[in-house]
Amino acid sequence: MKKRLFRIKPKTGEESAPSLSEKLARAFEIPGDVIGGSPKVTAIGRGEVLIENFKGILDFKDGMIRINSNNGIIKITGQDLKIREITSEEIIIGGKISNIDYDA
Amino acid sequence: MFLLHLWNYIRGYVIIVVTGKSVERFINICSKRQILLWDIERRDNESAVMKMSLRGFRLLRPVARKSECRVHILKKCGFPFFLARYRKRRGFKLGFLIFVLLIMLSTSIVWDIEITGCKPEHFQKVMNVLKMENIHRGSLKLGINPKKIAQEIVLQVDGIAWAGVELKGVRLIVTIEDGITAPRLIKNNQAFNIVAERDGLITQMEVYAGTALVKKGDTVKEGQILVSGRLHSQRPELGDFGTKDVHALGRIIARTWYECSLPVSMEYIKKVRTGKEHNTLYLRIFDSKIKLPTGKVPFEVYETSTYDKNLRGPFGVELPFGLTVEKSYEVTEKKMDLTLEEAISITEETARAQLAERLPPDCKVLDEKVNHVEGENGRRYVQIVLECEEDIAGLEPVIE
Repeated sequence: MKKRLFRIKPKTGEESAPSLSEKLARAFEIPGDVIGGSPKVTAIGRGEVLIENFKGILDFKDGMIRINSNNGIIKITGQDLKIREITSEEIIIGGKISNIDYDA
Repeated sequence: MFLLHLWNYIRGYVIIVVTGKSVERFINICSKRQILLWDIERRDNESAVMKMSLRGFRLLRPVARKSECRVHILKKCGFPFFLARYRKRRGFKLGFLIFVLLIMLSTSIVWDIEITGCKPEHFQKVMNVLKMENIHRGSLKLGINPKKIAQEIVLQVDGIAWAGVELKGVRLIVTIEDGITAPRLIKNNQAFNIVAERDGLITQMEVYAGTALVKKGDTVKEGQILVSGRLHSQRPELGDFGTKDVHALGRIIARTWYECSLPVSMEYIKKVRTGKEHNTLYLRIFDSKIKLPTGKVPFEVYETSTYDKNLRGPFGVELPFGLTVEKSYEVTEKKMDLTLEEAISITEETARAQLAERLPPDCKVLDEKVNHVEGENGRRYVQIVLECEEDIAGLEPVIE
């Protein structure tokens, strides 16, 4: 029997280790948004973005919307952005969208 | 999406302006507290326009305080606000009430009675039964018991096998099934003779049972026995075996003649319209007529013809209101002298029509002869003789 050595890597910068629920989700091949509370971003055409599992709005301007989620901040830029609908689970953003950025 | 809009409209919503340092915070708190927001648009750095459900608006005060925002209503939309606007108008309410009452009233009366599937001679009787039951156009549906009426119709009108009464919306539909009169039963084991139904000359005989007493080429009189149902022994030399009665069967085709003679009249009374007309108008509501003041008919001799003018509703439904127009035409009677040929042809036509009524249905016309006879005192007659061929076999029981 070989003795195994476990080395704990120090956290480097922004990259956080996947959480337990994300590992579980990966192990059982369940989509992350079902178990882990990862955000699910659906873009339909150019005019509509649907984000599920979001935590809140950080910033809301005419050309930019920043949304907080479990995996960091999602920034959406574009022209004439507006929030079509908002509930506690999902948000629908409309307008002419040019970027969907993570970690911004 | 359209459905959602409709739903929002029915529930009512407000368009609000939110002003404050942190509109985002306001939106976040709203979404956490299950207050539905949609169509959020940034106006400037400090304010945003959004739509909010009426239910959410009632919960708004603590949210606004917490997020330190001020809320103004831009517009109130939706059905509840629409209703509120009309709440104060009394005439509107009254009108709506009257409308509902009228609809209810107009759907609770019979507008039309339809009688289907019966012979014309039964039609009037069925109408009479309905009249006796006090059912007419305009009577209330409430007191009508279709089963009872159907029963009544079957009881009162002879020759009806079945009657169904159905209230379909505002129509009363009476369906009638005419009965078939049972044919006269002739028992096969009973003894019958074949007798002649008419005078005639036999052209063809087929005897299936019985003893033929006449043969082809014989002239027979009405009532004469043609085939006897009594069988005699074929060979009397072997002894007397008595007789046996059977049901005589057979087809006796005979030539028959029908004759009709009419005197020729040289005069003919013709009614000529003078061209003057008079209209009498009636206003008809359901089955009652109201005469409109259109004056008396100013003619001594006149013909009338009436026709109804009905209002037509949607889908081709006849409304029970309308005008009945009674047109009167003045008429003068003119005696006309006919030429001989005209008089004869008119007489021939009437004679033919009279003959056609007399002919039995299964009769074949072979020949037609027209004779012009001059009688005493100079009168002319037209005589038409039809030569026909038909089955003259009739049955009569054998008399012991």
